[in-house]
Amino acid sequence: MNIHLNRRRFLRDSIGASAAIGVGTTLPECFAEAASTSIQSDERILVVVQMSGGNDGLNTIVPYADDDYRSARPKLAIPTSEVIRCDDHDGFHPAMTGLKELLQDGKFAAVRNVGYENPNRSHFESMDIWHTCRRKDEPRSDGWLGRFLDQQPAIAGGDVPALHLGREQQPTAVASTSVRVPTVKELAEFQLRGNNKDRLRELLETRPPATSLGDNPLLSFLESSTTSAIAASGRVTEAASSYQSDVIYPETDLGNKLRVVAQLIDAGLSTRIYYVQHDGFDTHAQQAATHDILLRQWSDAVTALVRDLDAHDHGGRVCVMTFSEFGRRVAENASEGTDHGAAGPMFLCGGAVKPGIHGKRPNLTDLQQGDLKHEHDFRQVYATVLRDWLGTDPATILGKDYESLRLFTS
Amino acid sequence: MSENQMSQMRSIDPAWAWKPFEPTSDQPWDRSAVSHLYRRAGFGMELSVIGEAVKREPAEVVGKLVSANRESTEFRSTADALAEATLAGGDPEKLSAAWVYRLLYTPNQLLEKTAILWHGHFATGAEKVKDARMMWNQNQLLRDHALGDFGSLVKKISQDPAMLVYLDWAVNRKAHPNENFARELMELFCLGEGNYSETDVLELARCFTGWEIKNKRFRKNRYQHDPGEKTVLGQNGDFDGEDGVRIVLDQPAMPLFVTRKLYRFFISDEPEPTDAFLQPLADLFRERDLQIAPVVERILGSNQFYSQHAIARKIKSPVELVMGMLRSLGATTNTQLVARGLLSIGQGLFFPPNVKGWDGGRAWINSSTLLGRSNLIADILDSDATRFDGKTLAEYLGEHDVQTTDEAMMYFEQCLLAAPLDEQAKDQLRHSTVSQPGDQDQQMRTLLHVMMSLPISQLG
Repeated sequence: MNIHLNRRRFLRDSIGASAAIGVGTTLPECFAEAASTSIQSDERILVVVQMSGGNDGLNTIVPYADDDYRSARPKLAIPTSEVIRCDDHDGFHPAMTGLKELLQDGKFAAVRNVGYENPNRSHFESMDIWHTCRRKDEPRSDGWLGRFLDQQPAIAGGDVPALHLGREQQPTAVASTSVRVPTVKELAEFQLRGNNKDRLRELLETRPPATSLGDNPLLSFLESSTTSAIAASGRVTEAASSYQSDVIYPETDLGNKLRVVAQLIDAGLSTRIYYVQHDGFDTHAQQAATHDILLRQWSDAVTALVRDLDAHDHGGRVCVMTFSEFGRRVAENASEGTDHGAAGPMFLCGGAVKPGIHGKRPNLTDLQQGDLKHEHDFRQVYATVLRDWLGTDPATILGKDYESLRLFTS
Repeated sequence: MSENQMSQMRSIDPAWAWKPFEPTSDQPWDRSAVSHLYRRAGFGMELSVIGEAVKREPAEVVGKLVSANRESTEFRSTADALAEATLAGGDPEKLSAAWVYRLLYTPNQLLEKTAILWHGHFATGAEKVKDARMMWNQNQLLRDHALGDFGSLVKKISQDPAMLVYLDWAVNRKAHPNENFARELMELFCLGEGNYSETDVLELARCFTGWEIKNKRFRKNRYQHDPGEKTVLGQNGDFDGEDGVRIVLDQPAMPLFVTRKLYRFFISDEPEPTDAFLQPLADLFRERDLQIAPVVERILGSNQFYSQHAIARKIKSPVELVMGMLRSLGATTNTQLVARGLLSIGQGLFFPPNVKGWDGGRAWINSSTLLGRSNLIADILDSDATRFDGKTLAEYLGEHDVQTTDEAMMYFEQCLLAAPLDEQAKDQLRHSTVSQPGDQDQQMRTLLHVMMSLPISQLG
């Protein structure tokens, strides 16, 4: 009931405030359509959590019974007594209590040994590879999610097709040639201030003032970004204003972002992609304490989101996917940290995932340059999410066919 | 980047591009060209100064800007005294405001602007270093070398306490060398990804073993240095850290990598220039023993710099946006307000996003930062601390014979915008400001706020 009321209010607002975020589309027609077409808010949604800096996968899904694990990490190996055991070989880092519960409820899946050929150990280059699915010598102005957005028909009602929440730079994964994805730093600040704000909004929204500049792609980019910002500002702020939930989110940056995601989903936004970043995984020194905090923040926030969505009847249509640009070296370094590595685990949470730990146990003796070899290409996971979850053909987005993995129940 | 842009870029003759600028009827040496120079070589200049520079030769104006490559003793002692008061509190967040003070008052804008370039290049974040003194010392290091010797800048940075703490390198033992600094030295500071191998990272890391920070100072711990033979970038020897830095600096990829950064910073965000196009600058950099000033002088005085490939082809950084408005109108304001505001729109001084620094270009812009830019300008214009040459905005403009909305629009356009507005845009601005309530000062501030919020005002 609540949902429907929200939807109706949404529709009403979208007629007044411009809504379409498409670049170069004519806004007035979109408003007219918005008035007549009902918003599809039962579509499946993907929430991406990016662990920035290179998560230590071996200390996340821990092969605690493997002697090689302990000998490579005399100081950093998680003591067997502290591992949250899944079976006789594998367990979770002790901070991941929430995710262990999700696993027991059938809502958590890990895919091990995910990486790619000829891994790059630069944060920035490797992140670009994960975002664009392309190597440096190929043109890569857009991202895999951006290409997904390009394929989607413009939805009447015009909600933003994707949203990045956070104060960081926008991830290339959502860069697209046809749509501008808004970045929202904080809902409270996502509005124009000043005593002339209404006139200013009008001026920036109606039509960007023309200039004598000829073909300047930067100016076109600024104009469409401004239109998009003004349009998204009103809608997103309004959508989140009346949310109520019994689920307690951790008071962390990630917790706050994921609470906003739940608010926007429940308000009936037709946005299908939400993107958040969880920073700090570059643990070259004194890794243990930092990694514990980061994994706890992640586990608690994602668990709260899944619980909250369940409570609001959205649990079956939301999948939360977590990745990092690489794992870390198998052996610890002298600063009680780990250096940049290669393959690592990915994680999927939600009501429709096929629960469990997928993939082989990592082989800690057959290494490449001190790092784990990958078993699955990350694009196989993307392909699975695109085909089996978002319902689209992955080949055109990823550049070729990748063999799917069985990661969803339906 | 479009195919069109790429092919445009390929059609430029590098020999023409890097020759000294010769004004033509299409690209005259006029107020708009001078304003472009002051915006790129600094943040902005008052119209009266621009008017004076038009009467001089381009090479002379550029030469004077570049030769002011050291801070005057007098200004440094004032700025340092203010910073010392901040450092005494030990709060790294307040350092930002101390830098804003320099940006607002420095007579050497190019020097300060280049210090910001190197801060983004050798990016070090105060939230991790957590030591205001270390951060400030690094900042002085960047300023002292901003237009000086790149080689010694890299050498000093490789032993800089703030940098080493930031890259988890305070202790580096021979048993398990920490790879972080070795990797970033090649990837981000000197060569660029693809110009070294993973083995080079491991071997270079061995060179730096034993380098550590003790009591906030750099020292070499010879017991932890790996004295063995290493192979770094094709050279063999029992190298130490200094050797490692020297070998990296000697790589042929180095001058092109640094020159590309300078090109993006001073000329345009996109399209990316080809290696061949940059080669004359890279050669100059090597010939002049890695002195930065001659390369910057060549860039700022070149045909390319005053061409359509440069004018309005950069997106203003937050610092450029805010300082541009303030310095072009002789304004002063609350430095803390500005420092906090810059952080909120993506360029907290002393708080770069990561070791790669700010990407710049389109990355400055998203929905939040666009609204934030407009809001920060509104906050600054509304602040009681904001004065224009000590006066209200209306009084300031009055002294420059600017009375009406149209005159003000023209004045702002000349000193703040990289490209002129057309008639329709001006009509819209008139419409949205004239009907505003308030006295003349309020109306002028409203006009300025609205103009600064336009998409075109984000172009530098």
